[in-house]
Formats: sequence, structure tokens, C-alpha cells
Amino acid sequence: MSLTTYVEAIRQGIWEEMEKDDRVFVLGEDVGIYGGAFKVTAGMLERFGEWRVIDTPISESGIVGAAIGAALMGMRPVAEMQFADFISCAFDQITNFAAKCRYRWGAGVPIVVRGPSGGGVHGGPFHSQNPEMYFVHTPGLKVVCPSTAYDAKGLIKSAIRDPDPVIYFEHKFLYRRVKEDLPSDDFVVPIGKAAIRRNGSDISVITYGAMVYIALDAAKELEKEGIDLEVLDLRSLLPFDKEAVLESVKKTNKVILLHEDTQIGGFAGELAAIISEEAFEYLDGPIRRITAPNTPVPYSPPLEEFFLPKISDVVRVARELYAY
Amino acid sequence: MAETKVIMPQMGESIFEGTITKWLKKKGERVERDEPLFEISTDKIDTEIPAPAAGVLQDILVKEGQTVQINTVVAVIGDGSTKPAAEGAKEPTQPEPPKEVKGPAPVAGPTAEAEKTSPEPAARSRPSPSEEEIRSSPLVRRIAKEHNIDLSALAGKGTGIDGRITKTDILSYIEQPGKAAPAAPRKPEEPARGPKAPPVPPTPAPMKFTGDVERVPLTAMRKAIAEHMVMSRKTSAHVTTFFEVDCSRILKAKEKQQAEFERSSARLTVTPFFVQAAANALKRFPVVNSSLEGDTIVYKRPINIGIAVNLEWGLIVPVIKNADEKNLFGLAKALNELGDRARNKKLTPDDVKDGTFTITNPGQYGGLIGTPIINQPQVAIMGMGGIKKRAVVIDDAIAIRPIIVLSLSFDHRVIDGATADQFMADVQKQLENWTV
Amino acid sequence: MKSNTLTRDAAPVSLPPEKTVLDMLYYMKLTRELESRIERKLYRQGKIVGGVYVGRGQEAIAVGSCIDTRPDDIVCPSHRDMGAYLIRGMSLRTILAQYMARKTGATRGKDGNMHMGDLSKGLIAFVSMLGDNVPVATGIGLSFKMRGQDRAALCFFGDGATSRGDWHEGINMASVFKVPVVFICNNNQYAYSTPLERQMAVENVADRAEAYGMPGEIVDGNDILAVWDAATRAIRRARSGGGPTLIECKTFRMTGHSAHDDAGYVPPELFEFWEERDPISRFERFLTQRGFIDKSGIGELQQRINHEIDEAIQIAEKDPFPEPEDCLKDVYFESPTEQ
Repeated sequence: MSLTTYVEAIRQGIWEEMEKDDRVFVLGEDVGIYGGAFKVTAGMLERFGEWRVIDTPISESGIVGAAIGAALMGMRPVAEMQFADFISCAFDQITNFAAKCRYRWGAGVPIVVRGPSGGGVHGGPFHSQNPEMYFVHTPGLKVVCPSTAYDAKGLIKSAIRDPDPVIYFEHKFLYRRVKEDLPSDDFVVPIGKAAIRRNGSDISVITYGAMVYIALDAAKELEKEGIDLEVLDLRSLLPFDKEAVLESVKKTNKVILLHEDTQIGGFAGELAAIISEEAFEYLDGPIRRITAPNTPVPYSPPLEEFFLPKISDVVRVARELYAY
Repeated sequence: MAETKVIMPQMGESIFEGTITKWLKKKGERVERDEPLFEISTDKIDTEIPAPAAGVLQDILVKEGQTVQINTVVAVIGDGSTKPAAEGAKEPTQPEPPKEVKGPAPVAGPTAEAEKTSPEPAARSRPSPSEEEIRSSPLVRRIAKEHNIDLSALAGKGTGIDGRITKTDILSYIEQPGKAAPAAPRKPEEPARGPKAPPVPPTPAPMKFTGDVERVPLTAMRKAIAEHMVMSRKTSAHVTTFFEVDCSRILKAKEKQQAEFERSSARLTVTPFFVQAAANALKRFPVVNSSLEGDTIVYKRPINIGIAVNLEWGLIVPVIKNADEKNLFGLAKALNELGDRARNKKLTPDDVKDGTFTITNPGQYGGLIGTPIINQPQVAIMGMGGIKKRAVVIDDAIAIRPIIVLSLSFDHRVIDGATADQFMADVQKQLENWTV
Repeated sequence: MKSNTLTRDAAPVSLPPEKTVLDMLYYMKLTRELESRIERKLYRQGKIVGGVYVGRGQEAIAVGSCIDTRPDDIVCPSHRDMGAYLIRGMSLRTILAQYMARKTGATRGKDGNMHMGDLSKGLIAFVSMLGDNVPVATGIGLSFKMRGQDRAALCFFGDGATSRGDWHEGINMASVFKVPVVFICNNNQYAYSTPLERQMAVENVADRAEAYGMPGEIVDGNDILAVWDAATRAIRRARSGGGPTLIECKTFRMTGHSAHDDAGYVPPELFEFWEERDPISRFERFLTQRGFIDKSGIGELQQRINHEIDEAIQIAEKDPFPEPEDCLKDVYFESPTEQ
């Protein structure tokens, strides 16, 4: 059984949806002839033709706006942002048009806007961002961040089938580093459900995206000292699995919130507030956050290494929290 | 419908007040719906306002030149049947300020006060003065409350940072008999035991040292060790047996092979000899290489001997896997590697798991013998005392020999004294008859 | 002051059928009267809160271009295109309830004034970020092409919206993909207080069409037949695969930007000049001259319109406001089982 990489899983997911539903189509920069900057859409033009795999001008606002228009007419567009960083160029169309149509006039906008986010590839400030929170902050949207190949495929399908606009952030660092054996059936991963990656009893580490692997590696180290981490992978940020979060906190009574996104306005702040509001009496220690600092993503390797949360950060904070 | 209120409209999102510049109708005059009724002036626009309904202009509540907030009732249109209000009109009703008001904040006072009364540090809001000195956590307080425990009972016994009472502390406290008073009320049939049941003495309060102290919280490792030691003692029926062993032959062998081993980068100490002897003996006495799970003795096929290593930050037991398959050289090498890795904190989880028997060295600082605690879930542990030259009796003559006292702590649930002694006799015989 | 031209009563290339001509008059007058009630009465009576934006003097543009659209065409209006809503079938009561923030309004109270949409009538609700509807219209047109349909889409915007990035991206993509969309600029020469020469350095909005590779046409926006003619040809071109067109309708905004703006920044002589070119009076003159209708007929028409509007106001005024908790509804799709 060959292993499927995370990026291939996304490609398969989109491909399979396009096969079974001819309302689904792809548009974006370099998605057709080139097969996508990261080859997510490789082979699709040949298979589905130029009216379902559309190479566009450099026009993120145009791309998303056109997707919205097509979706209003009943199509199911999958719009690619070549790097998630560029999604800011389409901010208005996403947050003011797509997100508010149903609320205002009952018109659903079933678009998917997807793109590679995250750092660790020497990409610098404009090719490494984690822009998820701008959209988590916008009611009417859904936001997902898969961390495994299985989830990447299952969530892209859920996103395409969802009647509301879904922003799908795929972590570029994981594209080829993460692989697994995928089932051959038509499986989906529901939006809004977390997954426990490691059961543990001492401290809950709640995280998503590439940081899931940082948490798991830290858990292996801490095991040797008798510290048993539980790792909860959120998978979806909007909606998110509040039940799973609270359940984990109630079980271990100590929690670390970990994300690659910067600190202020990051999802950890939201979770910390919710945990404090709804599980205060289950806390045996302060809620700890591990995030990137409040700076743009730097380029030079020592700077980027400083910026990104590391295994040693998780180990250090876990030890402190364990001893509290 | 008797009356229609005429209001000052909002002429723009940022407008919050308007001035009546002219009334186009007089009180008591008839007015048609949509007919111009009065003129206003605002920051953005001057305009005339049409009447919202037909009727008689019953009351004019705001005079020309007066400025009022939007949504203020400025006039009332009646159907002509009610009397107009008295002259010298009352103050126009000021409605609540609308939400969109963007002008100067109408009420600065209450907001400022609200800011001043931001929540005070949690400690001050606690009612009980003794609780102020006791640090715990929301979880601990809840557990204490659920079990009717006054946290002052644990004062000074917290194992968290700065003596904080942790979840483990309170849960352990609860496990002690008599501590957790159940919240349920006492049953009335209690005195039915006898005519005069002796009074149950109250549980004595734990002794507390009242002198000067320094509090140092346990490290994670220390805590793990502490928990393990207590648990092991509670689990196994510990008995320790002692054997004296003459080390002359193994010391000679060591001397002879040391140089050769060093050349192959293996430091040779006395320990590999004991490991090999133990490994061979375990082959012959498999019950010493087992575990007890419930009612089942689990005999383990591999012989994985752990060697306790004392580090400055604690105790760790790396394991030599399949020790019986290694020769002296192999054992020496394995010991070196594990020891180095242990000291450099490079042990992997694999290095410390799946041990079946443990050897410890309490004699390394000169002690005579030790009574080691079994390394769960094993059933025996061998302790090496210090090697000392002593006068012994051999063939009725006194000789000087290097003597070590070996101790074997064993789990009497599974291993009887006879078996333990036979095992140790086997070890002793190997060591005293060592040939290179 | 730029672009003060195109005011002659130019004879159209061809006349539409009589029914259409009379409908044109009806819809323009309906638009005018409805907006007048909204701005000059209801708003000032405090029965409408928030913002009010009317297209007084510009009625010919929406009416002339939408009058011959098919039911399966799509219209993306902007805030001064009330005629589009009326022609496509949105009821007076729904529109008035919308303005008065009632539950029965087009957005059930979720949004105000002209932010209305109804997919069943092919009406796409615009957002306040003007120009955003251009890429959306392009996507709508793209879907027609993808499915091989001969439907057309109309997209309306003003002179100010053409300064926005989204406008340019949308027009560019529309041209690249040759979508069946007619882009109609309601150039009323002021964007709030910003006159045209502060909005753009080109003389005409339609001059930009060439830059993007699509045909551009300038028409007298206050001549309903000229608008109708240009729009009809452009729609025909779109349906037959000829791609998009940019039609610039020259007109003038006869009010302030909104009901609370008295447009003191507009030289009064401009108002005077354009008042004489009012689209409704012009058309009435034209029709009476050609014998389509006479003065009493116009009077009757006005009465009928007044009556329709009176009725609708009476009903809408009594419609309930939404429940406070309705605030939480319809953020996301709710399946019938979840409700």
C-alpha cells in the first residue's frame, strides 16, 4: 500500500469531487497548465478541461468575486490563493460579500477559498503567514486547518460540499512531509470536530496545523520524565469543537494552547477565555500559551527559528506547568 | 387612535440632535398627513418635516430655537377630542440616548466608576482568613468543597510551587481514611452496634514543624521516584536476603582483561561480572525473572537487566536487553554506553523500558549492605555492597579476601525464601569460581 | 466641470413596442414617486432610520436597461437603481418594509435601504463596498459560459465605484474570459462630494473599456430610449457570445448623496441645467408629441402610482419588526431539521 502525501491527498479530494459533481470547478493563478504552484491541481486541466480548471489573471479579489458570482448561480467553485498570504487581497470579497449574503438576503455562497499557509520554509513575511484569525473573526465563514493527509482529503471534501463559504488553510510545511495510508472509499471529515492525536493524563496540549507534530515530538521527550501529554488537534477553527476542548481540560486539569500564529488575536486567546469561563473549576494551574511572537514572519533562518514555536518550548512549558 | 407622537427624526447616521427652526402650523390647527409641519436644522442639513398623520396639532412640546436629541417627542397630533396640554409646556421627554450617538459621550461618570471597580486580586475576595495563606487552584477548591474539606487541613503540605496544594495533594489527602467527610447526612442507626460503643478517638492533626524552613518543590523526577517507591512497598511483600561473596577470582580476571578491553574502548568494572552471573542464574530460576499480574505469574522470556544509575538530578535505570546473550565484553560495552547516555540525558524511552531484573549498587560509597526496593513490575532486585578486604576462615585458617555482601530483595508473593537463597547461591558460586 | 454634454433629444435607432414604451414611463414614474415618499416623507417622519439614497434624475438608466431582460437574466444593481428592483418584480410592500426595517422587508431587517437581493427574481444584493459587484457579475457570467447558457447579466455602478481595485480586476477578468455581462456605469458626476475630475483623470469612464479590451459606449443617461437602445444591443452581443460591454450613461445626481446631505458643494447652476433635462419630463414630452399618451393619461398614471404606493405604505407600516433574537439567525445554513 503506497503512502499518500498531504498535498496529494488534497489533490485527490478535489479531483474526486470534480468527478462526481460537475458543478465543482477550480480557479486561480497557475492552476491549469502549470498544475498549481505546489502541484495541487496537476493533471486536472487535461482531465476536466479549461472550463473547469481556469487560469486567471493575478486578481485575488476578482478570483474570489467571480467564485461568489458562480456560487450564487449554483456552482461549487474552489478558488486557490497561491499563497495564503495573498488572501488579504480578497479580504473584502470574502468578509463583506461572501460571509454576509446568507445573513442579509438568504443567498448561500458555497465557495471554498484554499491556499498554503504557515512557515518553516524560509518563505519570509509574505509566504509564511497564518492568516486564519481574520476569518475566524468573521461570522458567516467557516475555517479549517487539517494536519494529516487523511484530514486534508476529508476536509477538502467537506468544504466543497458545505453550503457556506469555507476558508481552507493547508500547511505548506506538511505538504510532502506528512504521509499516510488512505482508505479508498469516499470518506469525509466533518467540519467542527477535533481529533485526539495522543491520549494523556497530565497536560492537554491543544493545537492545530504543523504544530500538532511539534506537540507529539515534545510528548515523546516528556514521556521519559514521566510527564504524559494529551494532544488534541482542533482541525477546525470555525466552528471549533468546544466539547472536545473542555473534555480534555476536565480530564488533565492543565492546558497548553499551542499555535504557529502570532500571539495577540491568535486562537489561543479565544480558547483561554472559553476555558476560563466554562471550566474554571477544573483548572489545577494557569492556562499557558505557546505561540509565535508579535512580529511579521522573518526570513533569515536564525530569526525564523526564533519565531516558530519549537519542541523545546513545549517541553519547557510542560515541565513548568507540571510542577505548578 | 387618539394621538400620534411627532418625533425629531435622525437625519443621518452620525446626527444625534436637531433644532426646531420654525413651526409651520399652530397649536389647534388641522394638519393632513405628509403635510409640512415644521422645519429643522442639523449639522448636515436643514429641511422641512412632514406630519406623520392627519389630525389636530394638539401639543407643541419643543419651541422654536430649541435643540433636542433625536427621537424626542416634539409635538402630539390628536384627533381633536382631547384638551391640549397647559401653557408653559412641561420639559420635553428625553428618551434614552440612541445607540448610534457618536457625539460627546453623554455619560462619562458610570463608565469611569466601572473601570475603577475592576475585579480585585482573587485573594482579597476570599472570606476565610486562613485560606488566604493557602495557595491551591480552582480545581482543588472545588474538590475540597465537594468533600467538605477545609483546605487549612493541608496547610504547609502542598507539593506545588511555593507550597501550592495540587490536585494530587488533595486527592491523596482524601484517600487517607477518615479525612473526607462525605456530604451525605449521618444515618441515625449508628449506635446499634452495642450498648456502649467506645468513642472513636478523633484523628490526630498531623504534626507540623514550627521552626524556620526552606521550601523546595520536588522535581518531576523526584516526584516520580517518590511515588514509585511508596507504590512498590505497598505492592510487593518485600523480604531481603544477604550473601557474602569472595571476589578474589573476579578481581583477578578483571585485572587480566582490563587492558585488553580498554583497547577495544570498553571500560571494565566489576559490574559486568555480577550482571553475567545474575543473567545465568535467572536462566535457571525463571521465577525471579517474572511479574505478578493479578493471580497470574507472567514468566518473561528475555532477560533484560536494568542497572540503577545515580545522577545528580535523580535515579534512572537503563536496561541491558538480552543480557544473557552477551559475553563479558558485550556487557561491559553496553554498560559504558548506557551510563554515558544516562549522564548526558540522551536515554531514549526504549532504553528504560522492559527490564525484567534490576541490579543496584548501594555500596558504591562504602556502605556494607542495602535493602533495595523492588523496581515494579519486577519481583526481585539485587544490591551490591562495597568490596572490602576482610579476614575470613578458609579450611580452618584465617585468610584475607575481598568480600562483597550481595543483597536480594524479593517479592514473597511469588518467590519463597528457599528459591531466593538458591538463586543467590547460584550467583555466589559463579562468582567464586570464575574462570577467564 | 467635465462631461456636461449629451442633452439633445436624439432620435433612437428604433422604437420599442408600444407596451414597452408605456411600461418605461410607468416604471420611471413609479421609481420617482416611491423614492420621493421614502426620502421626503417617511425618512423625515422618523419612520425610516439610517441612510437613504435615491436616484432622482437617473431613473432612465435602470429602467431603460432592465425593461427587456429575460426572467432568467441576472441583475446586479447598485444603490441608485430602484427601477431595476421594480422591473424584476420586487413588490412595493417588500421594498417599503425593507426601508422601515421590518421583518417582511427584503432582508428581514438584517440590512437596510437599497441592500436588497432576491435570487428568485435574479436580483443580486450589493454590498456597501461599491465595485465589489463587478467581479461577482463576472463570475455570474462565467457560470453562464461554463454551462453554455445564453443568459445575460447586467451590472450597475457609479462613477466613484470605478476607482476601486475590485472594479478593475472584475472588468479585466470579464474581458479576459469574454463573459456575457453588460456593465453599466451610472455616471452622475458626483461621488458624495467628490466631483468627477477628482475621481478620474480620463474624460469618460467608457474610455477605460478600450484599455481592458472590451467595447465601450457613451449614451445620454437621461434619454431612456438611448439607454434602452445601447443596453439592448449590448445584451444581444452578450447572449451571442460577443462578450462584455461597458456602457457609460451620462446623467446627474439631482439630490445630495443621501437624504441628510444637502449637496451644498454642487454649484446650483448645475442643478438648474440638469433639471431641464429631467428624464421623465423629457419622455413625457416625447410620448405626448408622438401620441402615445396625453396629459390626462399621465395624470391618471400618476394617480394610480400614488394609490399603489399609499396602499403599500399602509401595509408595510403595520408590519412587525424582527424579534431581537433574529439577530442570531441565518449566519450559516440551517437544515430544516436543525431549526
